[in-house]
Amino acid sequence: MRSILTIILNDLKIFFSQRGNLPGLLVIPVLLTLVIGWSLGQIGGDSGPTRLRVDLIDLDQTELSSELIDDLRAANDALVLCPQDNDADDYCRLDEEPLQLERAVERARSGSSSALIVIPAGYAGALEGFERVDIDYYSLSDPLRPDPVRQSLDAVLQRASSASMTTGVAGALLDNLTSAIELPPLAAETRAGFLRTLYLRSQEMLTEQPAPVRFRVADTASDGEDGSMNGFNQSAPGMGTLYVMFTVLGGMAVLLRERRQWTLQRLVVLPLSRAQILGAKIGVYFSLGMIQYFIVFAVGAAVGMDFGSNPSALLAVMAAFVLCITALTFSLAPWITSEGQARGLVLLLSLSLAPLGGAWWPLEIVPEFMQTIGHLSPVAWAMDAFQDLLWYDGGFPDVLPEIGVLLAAAAVLFAVGIRSFKYE
Amino acid sequence: MRLMVEARNLRKTYKRHDGSTIEAVKGVDLEIRQGEIFSLLGPNGAGKTTTISMISGLVEPTEGDASIGGFSITKQPMDAKRLMGFVPQEIALYPDLSARQNLAFFGRMYGLAGKTLSRRVDELVEFVDLSDRQNDRIDTFSGGMKRRINLAAGLLNSPPLIYMDEPTVGIDPQSRRRILDTVKLLREEEGMTVLYTTHLMEEAQELSDRVGIMDHGEIIAMGTQAELTQQVGEEDRLEFTIGAQEVAEALLERIQQETVGVTRILHNPPEQLSDESSESTPSRLTVFAKRGRTALPQIIQNLDAAGVEIQSVAVREPDLEAVFLALTGRALRD
Ligand SMILES: Nc1ncnc2c1ncn2[C@@H]1O[C@H](COP(=O)(O)OP(=O)(O)OP(=O)(O)O)[C@@H](O)[C@H]1O
Ligand SMILES: [Mg+2]
Repeated sequence: MRSILTIILNDLKIFFSQRGNLPGLLVIPVLLTLVIGWSLGQIGGDSGPTRLRVDLIDLDQTELSSELIDDLRAANDALVLCPQDNDADDYCRLDEEPLQLERAVERARSGSSSALIVIPAGYAGALEGFERVDIDYYSLSDPLRPDPVRQSLDAVLQRASSASMTTGVAGALLDNLTSAIELPPLAAETRAGFLRTLYLRSQEMLTEQPAPVRFRVADTASDGEDGSMNGFNQSAPGMGTLYVMFTVLGGMAVLLRERRQWTLQRLVVLPLSRAQILGAKIGVYFSLGMIQYFIVFAVGAAVGMDFGSNPSALLAVMAAFVLCITALTFSLAPWITSEGQARGLVLLLSLSLAPLGGAWWPLEIVPEFMQTIGHLSPVAWAMDAFQDLLWYDGGFPDVLPEIGVLLAAAAVLFAVGIRSFKYE
Repeated sequence: MRLMVEARNLRKTYKRHDGSTIEAVKGVDLEIRQGEIFSLLGPNGAGKTTTISMISGLVEPTEGDASIGGFSITKQPMDAKRLMGFVPQEIALYPDLSARQNLAFFGRMYGLAGKTLSRRVDELVEFVDLSDRQNDRIDTFSGGMKRRINLAAGLLNSPPLIYMDEPTVGIDPQSRRRILDTVKLLREEEGMTVLYTTHLMEEAQELSDRVGIMDHGEIIAMGTQAELTQQVGEEDRLEFTIGAQEVAEALLERIQQETVGVTRILHNPPEQLSDESSESTPSRLTVFAKRGRTALPQIIQNLDAAGVEIQSVAVREPDLEAVFLALTGRALRD
């Protein structure tokens, strides 16, 4: 084990002593992260990759129900409520036909709307009478995953329920008071007016307070600072991922050079097992990949990128992707016959797998079939996982499928690479 | 006498890119005794490096096995490798690291550390006389200096056995001298067993206790120098360089019959050195004769009479070159 570490450290020392490696490791990815992060932040608002189409059917049609609707809009301005907020371009895709419940359910089931919210008749009455009321929510999204629409709805409903609870308690108190100290009974109208004021006031206070469920969506470009921050949430993982490929795949050329200059052969004639040598070489490129991620994420951190609240899950995703690319490097290295060929292959692979997998721009904005093809690239799986963690503040369970896919690919590629690894 | 290296029927078949195969080593038996300098002498492509690679655990033999100090290189590679030092034909050093960093790294791989390691590195840079340059990067070194560090790297673990694969290739005469002296010193002072490969007869002659002559993947003769030269008898070798010209077979036959002591004549016609250059090697006549110096005047007379222009003549006593020539019909250095 000590020999393995010694080899890894020695190889890293050599890598960093070659000045030519530093622009690719440090300067360019850092610059690109900043430039792309900033531009994505700027254009985010217009293209709105995460505008969400939400059908809303209000069967109650009362003041309280329309308040709920207003609250929803305020909680998350990424939501486009259909048909209420449809625009001239028919973002809702209603084709000028009315949105009946049946059609809306169908839309939610087929995924052509993100969700359907149905406010039942009697919503206002139930709320005022402090009774139970069910708001129906239809969505394709995985109930275990954070769903932006549901989170907004939850937040709004929680406020409504809390406010109605306040009025309920206050009403009971009022009735008790009037009977206990024998005040003249209040006129029904006065009582209702009083409770209504109380409801509104508590709503107001709950809104001013930090919402219990916070939700953020990409396109809040109306608000400059927030916008560019979200841009870095795309650009830092994207550029990190791209440059991990450049750096780690570059190992193909280094492994060839080590054979040409016979330093690899010298290791073989030392009292070391081949497994130790191979393990060390894998360790070298894995470490370099992780270092590359750390560099780019450090830049992201400096400009206010959001890391979510699950650093260990984030690390696991990074490690899984780096391992996958390391395996790709080792599976290709045996077939490399010149450094020029290696360099060409590094460029070709990095510059095709990265955009295909959404390292430059979010995959949501490309057509669906391209998203499917994109998932041939390990980059897409890594970016999906980063999105779960950085945008939606997901946890380990949310990124397990992506990590699984990356590790499975790594296992297959390593099997190929280790079997044909060339020691001389 | 204890055997340090004992190889049996070593064979190596390589696959070429086009799918054809090449048998680089064809069943080599080798015995190297403890404390001796053994040379493998052979021209380019003879299979010297392939043989060393197999008995050092770098390349797996297609067939056969070798034992190093009693440990099988294929079955107990760790134990076997601990006994050997290796000086490869290539400069197997990291060009971006200093001489000292290189030695320290490989030393650590042998389990040396701390003071022991730094003392060993001090000794070795001193030994190869590069203390003043030890902190310079390898890629700033001359060929000869690289060779010396390359050699030092093979000595880190003070092994009882060292393989040196053409350690003098491509360097100036002074550095060569230094390395040859080092080899002798290692044997005399440290009692090391040395396996030395070269395609230069002079080196094998100067260093070795025993020599294996290798050609086309086979050891075609093996023994002490005296044993080997005896194989070609007492004959001297007269080497005529005669410029690029044709020599009639009849003339050669006549010389062989009429001159007392001449047993055999080899004629190497001129060779084009490479496709691009118009230069060619001069044509060479090699005459084997019992008493070379006595026979010389008459041969010169005969050649002269036939109009063959003689550029130079050399008389050589029986040596390894003669053995190779006698066995293969080719000169070693071609
Ligand atoms: N990895 C390889 N793949 C294919 N052929 C090889 C390989 N290594 C060596 N050979 C071939 O095997 C033969 C012997 O090569 P080897 O390097 O052992 O010769 P050598 O005696 O060391 O020559 P030199 O004096 O030039 O170093 C050569 O014909 C060479 O082309
Ligand atoms: Mg060789």
